Amino acid sequence: MAEAEGDPRDLVKLTHDKLSVDTVSDSVTCPSCGAISIFIGTTRDSFEGMKVKQLEYEAYIPMAESELRKIYTDIRARWPTVRHICVHHRLGVVPVTEASVIIGISSPHRGDSLEAVQYCIDTLKATVPIWKKEVYEADESCWKENKECQWTCQS
Amino acid sequence: MTIEVSVFYFAKSAELTGLKSETIRVASELTTVELWQDLVSRHPRLSAVRDSVVLAVRQEYLALGDVRVSLRDGDEVAVIPPLSGG
Repeated sequence: MAEAEGDPRDLVKLTHDKLSVDTVSDSVTCPSCGAISIFIGTTRDSFEGMKVKQLEYEAYIPMAESELRKIYTDIRARWPTVRHICVHHRLGVVPVTEASVIIGISSPHRGDSLEAVQYCIDTLKATVPIWKKEVYEADESCWKENKECQWTCQS
Repeated sequence: MTIEVSVFYFAKSAELTGLKSETIRVASELTTVELWQDLVSRHPRLSAVRDSVVLAVRQEYLALGDVRVSLRDGDEVAVIPPLSGG
């Protein structure tokens, strides 16, 4: 539910529980903001023709939180009108089609929150220590590598 | 002078070592590549990911190379394979 005007909120949650868009949206709602922009990253069921049975996420939790807060600092420097920022990322087994990450950002007008959400997911993929393993049929599995990450091998 | 640090392994590196974490004794002043070589000497299978990992020391990323680090007792080191969050 919407709260009264208060300090800007920087919210981070890493959880094994199913993510909720309503929870993220409610956490960044504020009376002075005319826009809430939301990004939902969901898990796909196939990769290069192989059927994905499930996805598993793990994280270096304290560093993931500190890297996310660095991203928030960057966002507030580049888009000073941004009001509240919230990132929820799921860990452990995530069933196909469920959300693995939800980002919510509020601002008075839509331009800043839309741009900030794009920057947030792009930078998260490059810098936040979280890893995803795709498990295929016959129990084959593969640790994914984001192309945004600077030390991904370009092979 | 040697000190004790915690080493955390993630993703592929955890599968190669069979460990999530361990405590090791290392020199307090060394380069990141020397630190890597110490880890490989304990877990030779780690060498398979030499070209795709970085380290995190006190939760800051450092490339493998001539980067000098000063370690203190209780510091956290982590092996960081290519990221795949989001």
